[in-house]
Amino acid sequence: MSSSKKVITKEEWEKKLADVKIRKEDMNKLVMNFLVTEGYVEAAEKFQMESGTQPDIDLGTITDRMAVRKAVQCGNVEDAIEKVNDLNPEILDTNPQLFFHLQQQRLIELIRSGSVEEALQFAQEELAPRGEENHAFLEELERTVALLAFEDTASCPVGELLDVSQRQKTASELNAAILTSQSHEKDPKLPSLLKMLIWAQNQLDEKASYPRINDLVNATLEDPVT
Amino acid sequence: MPASAAWARPEELVESLSSLDNTARLKALRDVKNQIIGNKTKKLSYIKLGAVPRVVEILASDTEVPLLVQSAAAVGSFACGIEAGVKAVLDSGVLPHLLKMLSNGDNKVVEACARSLKMIFQSTLAPKSDMFQGHRMELIIELLNSENDSVAEVAASVLARCCETVDHQRALADAGGLQSLVGLLNGSLKTREAALDALAALTRGNKQLCSTLTCMDQGKSLAMIMKLVKDKSSRTRLLACTCLANIGKASPSSLHQEREIRAGMLSILVKLFDEPGQVGEEAPGVLADLVSNNEDLQKVAMDMNSIEKLAEFLRKDEISPKQLAGVLMALAELCSRFEDSRKQLLDLKVQAPIIAALEHDSVGVRAAACSCIKSLSRSVQNLRTGLTDELLVLPLLKLLSDSSSDIQALALSAVSNIVLDFKPHKAVVFRCGGVSQLIQLSQSMDPILRLNAVWALKNLLYMSDKTVKERVMGELTFNSLVDLIFDSEEKVREQAMALVRNLVYGDVDSVQLALVQDSVLLHAVEKQLHVSTQPEICIQGLYIVSNVAAGNEVHKEAVMDIVIPVTSVGVNRNTSLLMRYLQDMSNPQIRVVALWCVINLTFPNSPGVSSRISRLRDGGIEAQLQSMVDDPCLDVKDRAKTALEHFSAVEVHSR
Repeated sequence: MSSSKKVITKEEWEKKLADVKIRKEDMNKLVMNFLVTEGYVEAAEKFQMESGTQPDIDLGTITDRMAVRKAVQCGNVEDAIEKVNDLNPEILDTNPQLFFHLQQQRLIELIRSGSVEEALQFAQEELAPRGEENHAFLEELERTVALLAFEDTASCPVGELLDVSQRQKTASELNAAILTSQSHEKDPKLPSLLKMLIWAQNQLDEKASYPRINDLVNATLEDPVT
Repeated sequence: MPASAAWARPEELVESLSSLDNTARLKALRDVKNQIIGNKTKKLSYIKLGAVPRVVEILASDTEVPLLVQSAAAVGSFACGIEAGVKAVLDSGVLPHLLKMLSNGDNKVVEACARSLKMIFQSTLAPKSDMFQGHRMELIIELLNSENDSVAEVAASVLARCCETVDHQRALADAGGLQSLVGLLNGSLKTREAALDALAALTRGNKQLCSTLTCMDQGKSLAMIMKLVKDKSSRTRLLACTCLANIGKASPSSLHQEREIRAGMLSILVKLFDEPGQVGEEAPGVLADLVSNNEDLQKVAMDMNSIEKLAEFLRKDEISPKQLAGVLMALAELCSRFEDSRKQLLDLKVQAPIIAALEHDSVGVRAAACSCIKSLSRSVQNLRTGLTDELLVLPLLKLLSDSSSDIQALALSAVSNIVLDFKPHKAVVFRCGGVSQLIQLSQSMDPILRLNAVWALKNLLYMSDKTVKERVMGELTFNSLVDLIFDSEEKVREQAMALVRNLVYGDVDSVQLALVQDSVLLHAVEKQLHVSTQPEICIQGLYIVSNVAAGNEVHKEAVMDIVIPVTSVGVNRNTSLLMRYLQDMSNPQIRVVALWCVINLTFPNSPGVSSRISRLRDGGIEAQLQSMVDDPCLDVKDRAKTALEHFSAVEVHSR
């Protein structure tokens, strides 16, 4: 069956690839977009100086955004909330899910610090009303409060809430919301280009055998399967 | 560290909002703001504690930038998401202060105040007309040109929300709003979307502004909006489609050459149905606007399977009123002209949710459901098969006494359709007291309601039996009907005449109705035939006398006295009504119906036919008929021949 597929050799492939022209400016813009979106402000500044590429957003706003993100990553959620409210009060006022996740993160931090009583009071006063407004929130709240039931959180089935990854998740959600409020796309463009590459390869697989890229990081062209 | 500092008790915090110490006041303000953002419960409890007037007081009398910024932000948050909050800030008289602060020298203050305004104006409670007082509008339009992108965005979204009437639209355009908004289309995503939103509000149902926008900058502005139809952001796509749908609806020819573009917009809109949130909610309504009055696009939409997709929404358990209204409106438009669409929709078996929507709380949904039923009921086929349920008639009749006159008018149109030519529905309308309602509405002060009610009664009487006619006339009374024949509105007069036509059509009993009460109806019709200059009314009048002339001898003689009277000097050859209408060259239909009248009057073998024929001859009618054998209209020719045969039959007979 495989014989029906067209085989394209590495040489032919490379020759075809060499014919495709990509402008340097476009490459630079992609890099800048990545740096800005991900918040690497110093790298973006240096890159701007060296390549002359204009960032698609005021670099000053990145600093504010990163300060908010960092606060969440350090577990300082209340500080992050105050900062984001100073940036633009609309963000949390019009995004109930994000607001809930920040409050949930606050609860997690209280539990982490062992302030059981404070945690319970906070859950009751701040989070319970949100749970009444939205059933999905209530379930998440119940899951979070379950952390209190275990002496040893390592054995707790919802122990992953205490992981650093949970802080990262919350921080990313907040980061994305700030970017959206600044009319900026919340995801960098590079990952979607890579997704497109994988999709295109999958489509092509059905029709031809060609030097595929399996290792995205090194972009090595594999030998075509015959 | 703020993170660990416990907040003071709410009562104390509210107290501190009026502290004489600036630092304490600022701290309290920030604390309140940070507590209420995103938190409805807290907003309500601080409103109860009287925090709002104190916050507004800071905005009114303080001068320090941080205090102003924080108080404006707090006001905005109170107004965000809860009506009680909007009411509280408005009751505290915040509006003039916010507007005044828009001219503040500090950019942060301006931005914060503009955002607050935006929050207030997202609510239906916002005092929209107030924005058109004094120089407020100019102030907001000035902000459209602000260096600060988010200020421009906020200004555009306030404009989008407060532009509701034609006067608003004009005031905004006169102040230069259109040009400034178009300028924002090059801005950041949010600014562009706010500008499109405002442009959509400005162009809705406004022919003049639509054409201004179309011609602006040699069509470049329009081209820019057309490009945005394919934008990456779904909201931009929707709003650009909305603007273009407005333009297309206002002047169908302006986008004529861009048929492809409009068809493309359709497929974009259909895809937007699946978007979550506001975009998916609004997309069906925009589609309705786009295909309205455009058969070509309605066909394209059908080919895209949009009826099935729209019907899918009706099966959902939860659907917002806005979306439901949009879906029903879109279905109403798509089923307004094409039998295929109606059949397709009925085959999808969604009648129950459409009928249920007739009783929805939202006026918009009720109106849209009514339009949908109206479209569906346009075909007799559907009435027989798909819409026979009595469950339909009851809620529809209920809408005849709806609080909104727009809905009453729509319901009347739908009732008009369902009572035409379908006996079971006529009976249900009677049983449920619908006739009394129709008669009441035919006496309404609102000319549209009067017109639609007379229309419905006319349809009800179409091909109806004696009992229906007697009951309607018993309640309506002959005198009221005569009043309607002489109504101040031309359209009402026409429909009233058409009603009489249906009334006197049929057996001798029906014809007799024209002669009861001293022939009051016939006299009214006679008068209209003499004075009216409207061909439509004359045609109806001629049909009436023609119908009456089909009755017995008494009826025929009564018609003779109208159309060709004998005066003291005999029959006048040139001034009889019959002659006048047989010679009317403005409209062949008039001549055709006048000929029918002659045919009915001269029907062979009726006792008085020879005396009628001799009178008609004396009046010069036979000569006129002979000249009509060469009429340019085929129908006229044929009828004239038939009439002449009647004349010659009597000749032969008398010899």
